[in-house]
Amino acid sequence: MSVVESTTRRTGGSTPHRAPRRATRTRRRRQPSGLPWLLSVPTLLLLAGLLGYPLVRMVVLSFQNMRLRELLSGRTPPWVGFDNYTKVLGDSTFWTVVGRTVAFTAVTVVISVVIGLGIALLMRRVARGVRLLMIVAMMFVWAMPQLVAAQAFRWITDSDFGVINYLIDKLPGVNYQNHSWFVNPWQGWSVITTLVVWAGVPFLAITLNAGLTQVPKELVEAATVDGASPWQTLRNIILPILKPLLTIVTTLSVIWDFGLFTQNWALRDGHPEPEYQTLATYSYTQAFGQSRYSLGSAISVITVLLMLGVMAFYIRQMFKIGEVD
Amino acid sequence: MVATTPAAPAVRTRRRTDDGVMTVGRSRAGTIAANTAGVIFSLLMLFPVYWVLNTAFKPADEVLALTPTFVPTHPTFDNFLSAFKAPLFLQDMLNGLVITLLAVAGALVVGFLAALAIARFNFYGRKGIILVILAVQLVPLIALLIPLFLMLQSVSLTNSLIGVSITYLVLILPYTVWTLRGFISGIPRELDEAALIDGCTRGQVFWRIILPLTGPGLVATSVYGFIQAWNEFIIINTLNSPEKQNLMAWLLQNQTTRGTAWGPLMAGAIITSIPVVIFFLIIQRNIATGLTAGAVKG
Repeated sequence: MSVVESTTRRTGGSTPHRAPRRATRTRRRRQPSGLPWLLSVPTLLLLAGLLGYPLVRMVVLSFQNMRLRELLSGRTPPWVGFDNYTKVLGDSTFWTVVGRTVAFTAVTVVISVVIGLGIALLMRRVARGVRLLMIVAMMFVWAMPQLVAAQAFRWITDSDFGVINYLIDKLPGVNYQNHSWFVNPWQGWSVITTLVVWAGVPFLAITLNAGLTQVPKELVEAATVDGASPWQTLRNIILPILKPLLTIVTTLSVIWDFGLFTQNWALRDGHPEPEYQTLATYSYTQAFGQSRYSLGSAISVITVLLMLGVMAFYIRQMFKIGEVD
Repeated sequence: MVATTPAAPAVRTRRRTDDGVMTVGRSRAGTIAANTAGVIFSLLMLFPVYWVLNTAFKPADEVLALTPTFVPTHPTFDNFLSAFKAPLFLQDMLNGLVITLLAVAGALVVGFLAALAIARFNFYGRKGIILVILAVQLVPLIALLIPLFLMLQSVSLTNSLIGVSITYLVLILPYTVWTLRGFISGIPRELDEAALIDGCTRGQVFWRIILPLTGPGLVATSVYGFIQAWNEFIIINTLNSPEKQNLMAWLLQNQTTRGTAWGPLMAGAIITSIPVVIFFLIIQRNIATGLTAGAVKG
């Protein structure tokens, strides 16, 4: 999870220097290729050992049957072929979890990106002081560790002493005293969605706002003079220019939200009920809760396969926009 | 040159465009509505943060009151004291510091070398390495947890600070390489060449030019790494027992075991967040300007 988060924060300060670099490219070719490989070796070894090998091991495990007995005795678990996969794929619970994870991702990403874009546009219209207030507020939210944010929401929606119940109860004709938000999964998932959107909007809004500063004001002015409505200006001028950035942040949001773990895990006290399982928690619960390490691995493999398309799209996009050269 | 003052160009652009957009036919009523919306949005965003702070400074009886107080009328540090006195809190804080610092230091040293290779050399396989570094950042961590656990267990590195430190090192490594690459390519190559012509060896170019000029980049990168390693709790919660965990895992454990002790829990959450929030606010400029730099061609 946090591995992925890094992707956005990566290029701190790397304003591109394309022009000078291109000029020196011919000179660069002359350099020997032994030294750069030597410099990369420690990194590659560590990545291979602690990310590559586990990845292979995960696939191998999914074709074995590793239970607690094999774990304790250290014996090689028996090979079972595709048994784990047939078991997982034939299980309706699994498909419910897949459907839920996909639906959650779709809903949350759409809401977050729309709100993020709306706030980014709003930031262009407000007075300087208000904009500063918005940035400060968002920075605090962005800086908050995921687990802490989840616990804040757990406390706010607490059935006995939560402030949300108190406030809703104030509305005329509504009794929300001791209302539990997680009995009805629709309500529970609205809380989780709110939490994820709340935590995700700062990144989206601030990034998109930075992107909006690059929209040439002459274009917007010309459109206004020609009688374009604000909506037409947004659709025909701003959005096309913003598209590469919008694609990147949307893809990242999909990858993050699809891997939802912390929020539903913490809000359900580390034991998410069946209605609150996502692919990540489901795989974790199977492996570490039930000691079905192989079954958990098979679920993980399927999860990665499901995500592969989105990941490939992200990387291709990164190469395409020239961030990687 | 940009690596040393990353924020400057972005700020200038922003201000210039702002004034332009603001003047384009906007009604007064619209501006008031926009400002009001902005303020309301900010307050809504801040409310959960405020509520955590508010709760942490309340005495126990006010925390568990049916009518919540919105302003702490009797502020107290009791919750913080009881968090500090809670079993394992200090121990886990110390563990977290040790693990995080080891991981960040290791990732910086190893990552800097690779970043140097990618940023300054054009060699066969360079694109492949970049691809690997981008791709591994997208693999969901949870998926790797099962094999990682089995692997570390087979070499008796579960329930040890070293095992987690190495895991975190690898966790923050791809992005460390990626960020440092950006900072190093920001240093004009002409500087290297001038130094080489003046008789510097390759080693001297590294020690006297690249390393000092990457200074701010190293700080920003290690801060990002710190935040990530400090915030991690799933791995450490799976690999280690409570006395070998960090503060995040402590929070997770205490959310269930301490039941309704909301005051101390929120106080603990604040203490845990403080280093992260401070660090984050220091380097926040890099975050916003970094991503758009390449994605939008102005």
